[in-house]
Amino acid sequence: MACCSFSVSSKAIKVNIYQSLVGQVDPKETPMRQQYVGKVRFAHFDMHVQSSKKVLVATEKNVFASLNTRTGEVYWRHVDKTGPEGNIDALLMHGQDAVLVVGNGRLLRSWDINIGGLNWEIVLDSGSFQSACFVGQQDSVKYVAVLKKSAVSLHYLSNGHQKWVENLPERYVIHRYQAVYSGGNGEVYTLGVVPHSHITIVAYSVEDGEIIKQISVDAPWLSNIQASCAVVGQGMLICADPATVSLYMLDLNVQSQMTQIPLQSLGLEVSPGFQPTVVSTQPNPARPPHSEFFVQLGPDHYQLLQLNNGQIVALRDFKPAMLVSFATTGEKTVAAVMAPKNKTVSYFEDTHSFLSRACSLNLFSAESGRRLLDTTLIFNMDPNGGKPEKLYVQAFLKKDDSVGYRVMVQTEDHTLTFIQQPGRVMWTREEALSDVVTMEMVDLPLTGTQAELEGEFGKKADGLLSMVLKRLSSQLILLQAWIAHLWKLFYDARKPRSQVKNDVTIENLSRDEFNLQKMMVMVTASGKLFGIDSKTGTILWRHYLDNIPSNAAFKLMVQRTTAHFPHPPQCTLLIKDKDTGLATLHVFNPIFGRKSHITPPALPQPILQSLLLPLMDQDYAKVLLLVDDQYKVSAFPSTKNVLQQLQEMASSIFFYLVDSSQGRLSGYRLRTDLSTEMIWEVIIPTEVQRIVSVKGKRPNEHVHSQGRVMGDRSVLYKYLNPNLLAVVTESTDLHQERSFVGILLIDGVTGRIIHEAVQRKARGPVHLVHSENWVVYEYWSTKSRRNEFSVLELYEGMELYNSTVFSSLDRPHPPQVLQQSYIFPSSISTLEATLTEKGITSRHLLVGLPSGAILSLPKMFLDPRRPEIVSEQSREENLIPYSPEMPIRTEWFINYNQTVSRVRGIYTAPSGLESTCLVVAYGLDIYQTRVYPSKQFDVLKDDYDYMLISSVLFALFFATMISKRLAEVKLLNRAWR
Amino acid sequence: MASPGGQGGGALSTRGGCGVRRMKWALELSLGNTRSRSDRQGGQGDVVYPIGYSEKPVPDTSIQETDKNLVEKRCWDVALGPLKQIPMNLFIMYMSGNTISIFPIMMVCMMAWRPIQALMSMSATFKLLESSSQQWLQGLVYLVGNLLGSALAIYKCQSMGLLPTHSSDWLAFIEPPQRMEIMGGGMVL
Repeated sequence: MACCSFSVSSKAIKVNIYQSLVGQVDPKETPMRQQYVGKVRFAHFDMHVQSSKKVLVATEKNVFASLNTRTGEVYWRHVDKTGPEGNIDALLMHGQDAVLVVGNGRLLRSWDINIGGLNWEIVLDSGSFQSACFVGQQDSVKYVAVLKKSAVSLHYLSNGHQKWVENLPERYVIHRYQAVYSGGNGEVYTLGVVPHSHITIVAYSVEDGEIIKQISVDAPWLSNIQASCAVVGQGMLICADPATVSLYMLDLNVQSQMTQIPLQSLGLEVSPGFQPTVVSTQPNPARPPHSEFFVQLGPDHYQLLQLNNGQIVALRDFKPAMLVSFATTGEKTVAAVMAPKNKTVSYFEDTHSFLSRACSLNLFSAESGRRLLDTTLIFNMDPNGGKPEKLYVQAFLKKDDSVGYRVMVQTEDHTLTFIQQPGRVMWTREEALSDVVTMEMVDLPLTGTQAELEGEFGKKADGLLSMVLKRLSSQLILLQAWIAHLWKLFYDARKPRSQVKNDVTIENLSRDEFNLQKMMVMVTASGKLFGIDSKTGTILWRHYLDNIPSNAAFKLMVQRTTAHFPHPPQCTLLIKDKDTGLATLHVFNPIFGRKSHITPPALPQPILQSLLLPLMDQDYAKVLLLVDDQYKVSAFPSTKNVLQQLQEMASSIFFYLVDSSQGRLSGYRLRTDLSTEMIWEVIIPTEVQRIVSVKGKRPNEHVHSQGRVMGDRSVLYKYLNPNLLAVVTESTDLHQERSFVGILLIDGVTGRIIHEAVQRKARGPVHLVHSENWVVYEYWSTKSRRNEFSVLELYEGMELYNSTVFSSLDRPHPPQVLQQSYIFPSSISTLEATLTEKGITSRHLLVGLPSGAILSLPKMFLDPRRPEIVSEQSREENLIPYSPEMPIRTEWFINYNQTVSRVRGIYTAPSGLESTCLVVAYGLDIYQTRVYPSKQFDVLKDDYDYMLISSVLFALFFATMISKRLAEVKLLNRAWR
Repeated sequence: MASPGGQGGGALSTRGGCGVRRMKWALELSLGNTRSRSDRQGGQGDVVYPIGYSEKPVPDTSIQETDKNLVEKRCWDVALGPLKQIPMNLFIMYMSGNTISIFPIMMVCMMAWRPIQALMSMSATFKLLESSSQQWLQGLVYLVGNLLGSALAIYKCQSMGLLPTHSSDWLAFIEPPQRMEIMGGGMVL
């Protein structure tokens, strides 16, 4: 057990000395940042200026943003708190003002949409939010009405001040008020329902909040007003009832009974099992809604209806129609209908043919239901995308007074596509990337042609001759490609640099000299996979996996890299449904995004974990072991060769499973028949503490130096146990005096507890990095109310026990453990360590801060050997004297001013240069850059004077030639003397 | 003659290049008066030496009977040379300090190289000492002196920390140990 002791060192540290050791990012290399907003929940086009280029979006990521409709770029963006606190409940737009209800009705905010400035913000009374609407009178909108569970309040639009607040009359416990409506006649209606009993309508006067009337109407079929009702025309509430297949109509102005209109009487039919919905439009809050409305009768069936003098008239039937939307410009209201282009086949029959198909959009006059001429718009759906989900229409009047429009289509994969007539895609935004779950970086193939060759070699050749021929032909192609490449180099060299095109496409992808450009394979929570070029941020491929459960767990593994040339690289994504436990594998090529022709094994049993072995099959694919809930192991690929290798290696393959719900850590050994045997088990009582995270070491991590040189030039050898696991536990008791954080270092093979540390009066969330021989973690100290970093380092001592092999089963001596803690002045959102090719470069910690900055913190500041009293030896070792405060220096921010919102993870990958580590930070935004923890020691400086050096060299060379000649002449002359 | 300035050509010709360029014409009165020619031909062109005449003085080859002691003394000088340098080297060592920078390194290199060079050319030194009667003793002293010199250099290297005598000097050559077990797993997904 270690306790952290802080002692203020008497001397102020001259940190400037160490500053020169800290690497900094070369500002010339432009990092890549992409800003996202998340899945759109509400979107409104800015309509108050005819030529406006803005669309306002409020998203499920609690972001309110304005997008440029010409380019799709973000004009401005406001990122609110995560979780329900910042949840955007409603977005209302009028003129230049956008009114937002935030945090389940906690706050009411008004934004100026031009500059994104906050007009006002007020805190609303408590109560769960139900609905909000504008209230207008005499053609001007002055108020906002907010309906809460038990009260309705009216606020001035200009300053947010409350005009009045009224408690809702409540006669029944289960009484729920769900909607608020105003038709511009000086009254505010609140609509409530007692489920399966009756509707209550209360009308308030706008002026003083007095109840004008109160109506109660029987409606035993109704359970939710918002889902099935809408107000149409002059205050006519229309509800759809799936049970009786009819519409119910109720005039809000006069007390009456609901009139039932069977849909059959209108000649309409509802698809079996479908809940019909009513869609109406109220373009101006100061006026009643239009009397035209849509009723959705089936998943691909809409009907445009009109309310005419209390009678419902069917205007037009749309089938098949996927999405409909109303849009208003000036005095004209149109309905946009999206339909699959090929009308004969219903798109639900075959999803595949649906996905590759185009959709056509048409405008229809809302009044008459007639189709407007020249308004067809073709929307070619991405075959790798999802189905359209929402349609936002921006209508505008052309010069000849006809209606033109643009649409923004939101698809299932959270993509926004903005399309102009007749089908030109102006931009797309992949909002799925705002929720990256896991990612990997894959090396690019050497050349594009090489990648093409892979297909040729994928097939198995038979016979010696054909193989030789194949080899020869491939070599010829390679030669040809090389010559073409040389020619291109020569050709490009003559052109000025600016003219050389460097568009990245999937065809000209190739690895650069130092392997700095890689393919980022990103897996998003929506189930869409992306392949992004790390240099430019261009999305090179995308693939939407439909039928991904919403709470799926993902694990991405690189089974084969690009190094095994004739074989294509191969990634495997394990997708596990957390409810059923069943898992599927998606095997794909990470460079092209194509699904592999290899059929992954069917997994009938729930899968607990997977394990990527360093073993390879004959095609150089690493073997993936999948552990099911019977603790049986299946291998993928499972060829004879693999099974044989597994049998040979079985005795040295171990795996561990951590079940945090039961507080159980258990280790298993593989038997030759691919069954397993439990060899150790550690139970952490769940009543006291729960396991938060378990971290092993990264398998691709190299440690160059096996020890540390002491001041007296002896060596302190590192305890480099590749099987070591760091387990973090948090106490269940959250009282600030009794809460604690525990760190357990366990050997994953033997289950031996190497070290245990408890941080008393500390609380999570704990961020942890485990690498080399050290563990760094960060926690909240409840005692001192601050964030603290703690570092654990493990050493074998002055002698190595066994320098050739490491076996966890043969380790008699426990390692020496050193620990030190520091105060960190900020909370952190994520923690990661840099990684380089050979591990020679010193390590930095990359700390994602909530402010959006990414801090590159040298590991030497987190060194438990930092002395309290400076001695000759510690100075020799370059140890910084201990000081409890960890500084945050602004020059350590690797992203300068480019803040990365809500960093959730940082991914590091080595590059071909030892000095350089590639860093990707993801969260709401994606940011990619390089860091040089020890500066660029293996790269010539940019200002390296090639001209001077080469001219000096040449001059010296000629000088030697000339002087040699002169010396010869002189010698000859002397000889003649 | 026809010189407008009334100045003699001979006087002009002795001036520098700039003066030469300025004059319009010049007449040379005597052959071989110009500097350039006299430089080139000096001593050879005009004067013809008689046959058998050598310009270099011929050393006096007549053997002078000198004191044998003088040879002996000279030989001891040679033999004791390296030993005499040691105090000087010690002083330099002291002055240059133990920091690793270009001058101490150069000193150390020089100190190490000189005895080695001397040891390599031992045979030449022996030849030099041939005439002495105490040839072997002198040779031994010379050898010992040089060995001491190199030992001094090694000591200096050691005190500067240039000798790989510590385990830390071999740290970079330790290969990472091979892992015997393959382990993996994690939280139950």
